[in-house]
Amino acid sequence: MRRFTSVFVFVLLAVGCGGSDAAEKWVWDLPDTVPEPRVPDDNPMSVEKVELGRFLFYDKRLSGNQTQSCGTCHMQELAFTDGLPQAVGSTGQMHPRGSMSIANAGYAASLTWANETLVRLERQALVPMFGEDPVELGMANREDELLERLRNDARYLEMFAAAFPDERDSINLDSITKALGAFQRSITSFNSKVDRWQQGDSTALNESEQRGMALFFGGTNEAGVADAFECFHCHGGFLFSQSSDDAGQVFDQKFFMNNGLYNLDEQGSYPPGNEGLFDTTGDPADKGRFKPPSLRNIALTAPYMHDGSIETLEEVIDHYARGGRHIESGPYAGDGRDNPNKSALLNGFAITEQEKQDLIAFLRALTDEALRTNPAFSDPFEEQ
Amino acid sequence: MRKTTILLIAFAWAGAGCGDSDSEAVAIEFAAKVGAQDFVCNETYDNLGSDDSSLQLSDFRFYVQDVELRNADGEYVAVTLDSNEWQTSNVALLDFEDGCTDLGNEPMNEMVTGTVPAGVYDGLRFKMGVPFELNHENPATAPSPLNLTPMQWDWQGGYKFLRIDSGTFSMTDWRMHLGSTGCDGDPVAGGTTSCSTPNRVDVELAAFDPAVDTVVADFAALVDGAAIQENQADTPVGCMAGPMDSDCGPLFENLGLPFGGSTAGTQSFFSAE
Repeated sequence: MRRFTSVFVFVLLAVGCGGSDAAEKWVWDLPDTVPEPRVPDDNPMSVEKVELGRFLFYDKRLSGNQTQSCGTCHMQELAFTDGLPQAVGSTGQMHPRGSMSIANAGYAASLTWANETLVRLERQALVPMFGEDPVELGMANREDELLERLRNDARYLEMFAAAFPDERDSINLDSITKALGAFQRSITSFNSKVDRWQQGDSTALNESEQRGMALFFGGTNEAGVADAFECFHCHGGFLFSQSSDDAGQVFDQKFFMNNGLYNLDEQGSYPPGNEGLFDTTGDPADKGRFKPPSLRNIALTAPYMHDGSIETLEEVIDHYARGGRHIESGPYAGDGRDNPNKSALLNGFAITEQEKQDLIAFLRALTDEALRTNPAFSDPFEEQ
Repeated sequence: MRKTTILLIAFAWAGAGCGDSDSEAVAIEFAAKVGAQDFVCNETYDNLGSDDSSLQLSDFRFYVQDVELRNADGEYVAVTLDSNEWQTSNVALLDFEDGCTDLGNEPMNEMVTGTVPAGVYDGLRFKMGVPFELNHENPATAPSPLNLTPMQWDWQGGYKFLRIDSGTFSMTDWRMHLGSTGCDGDPVAGGTTSCSTPNRVDVELAAFDPAVDTVVADFAALVDGAAIQENQADTPVGCMAGPMDSDCGPLFENLGLPFGGSTAGTQSFFSAE
């Protein structure tokens, strides 16, 4: 909070000195190992806009029945996930997929689990607000009501004016999505033990974590296979996801792959209506292709996979060790190992119990504990 | 509605008198029907589809683009659309619901207005859809009628070109939402570059006199041959344009759209009356 107090002092001074109403310049607080995120030209960052976005993110008035905010499914203490296998919307409707972490969402080459079209946070914000299938926040056709709710709040009149000083009537859908985008872009998380290690602190990781890191990044396992686990091919880079974008990135790095979770019909089908990229492209080769999520804070975001169908990191590693999941009976029966769309990187591997524990130790070392309590990202309505 | 048309034409003629004598105003009327009956929001209609189903219809809206009339030389010429709350650029929203449900609104729009070169016209061509250049712009800043959230299809990155709903918009109510699918996005450029399945419906009404004829969108024709009571397991009830939802097959066929390996045909949803 101290930081924002000083911001207000700065604004008051600025106003006192001559009426300048320019928003305060945003300064990224990032380690040298990490590039700045891409910021759309039409939505520059500012301290005031991020703060407005934080209020909107946690404001239940953004749902039709005022029971949910963005923060309901994206809880700070769980790295902005909700601990559920699949999310539940404001009207009780179940989402087919789990709530993704939004930490470092500003770096995602595409947003959500599998959607090529969603490449900007501002546009993505419209999906939970206005989507009807499934209903999430349930605001479809109620945008005027939403704007009225916000306009009737004196605090928002001030906050919007400060965040969008060049606009006369700044409480509108565009400014709401821009503020939400700016806030989410501000939620960076690069303060894990692994980050400290990469910045040169040789005491940051213990021996088990170091062994796990070596195995993660292509080390030879006890069975003598080099790069046996192949983790970093999909989960590499500063984001620990190949699907990464940043301000200096010239190429489209959207990335989707099939990791053999299901194989309903020997043709690669996943449970209907939840088949990954296929749901939007209709291309059978896209069945089961999802974005590899960032592994940062992965220990906080159980259960795992797009549908929360794997509960623990141990079981995730077992899944990859087998090279796909075999479901013996029931509607989803089938051997994902034989999924024709499965990535060629997932051939299974031998892993000892010690190697598994080392790998998990490394994954746990990707947790940024400060993220969970950073007041800059916290629920402002809780504080009051 | 007829009265408004005449007024508009008279106004435009008066305007034309001031200088641009080569163009004239035109109003193309649309109607939403269910077989022989007019569509009325929340009315229940019977004998629909291949299984003689009944549905209470609660929404009926669609966008049209690239409206053209055929002149005496047999050439199609573009109708330059007026700019108003129902029309922007070369796209217009036809809206037959009257706010009978939460996702609707009271105002309705049953015509497309604009100007054409002075002349005699006897045919009509348009697409049901939103032009690609507008379909993927930011709906949060789009002008009316592209700023209506129930017509936005944000997870597909565009608009619902056609929205027909039954009941109360619940998961168990029959619905049809059609728009472009398979759209790409580029994180560097920041938007959609192409869609594999545009789903814009080509409509040509070869005998159409804008002075007397009306474009009829007939729900009964849309669902002709469709088993409305049946639903492919684990797919939305009705058709959300999912490429693997077999419930979409007959509907796409009636719209002249390719589906599941079938080729494009001629639409039968729209007719002249």
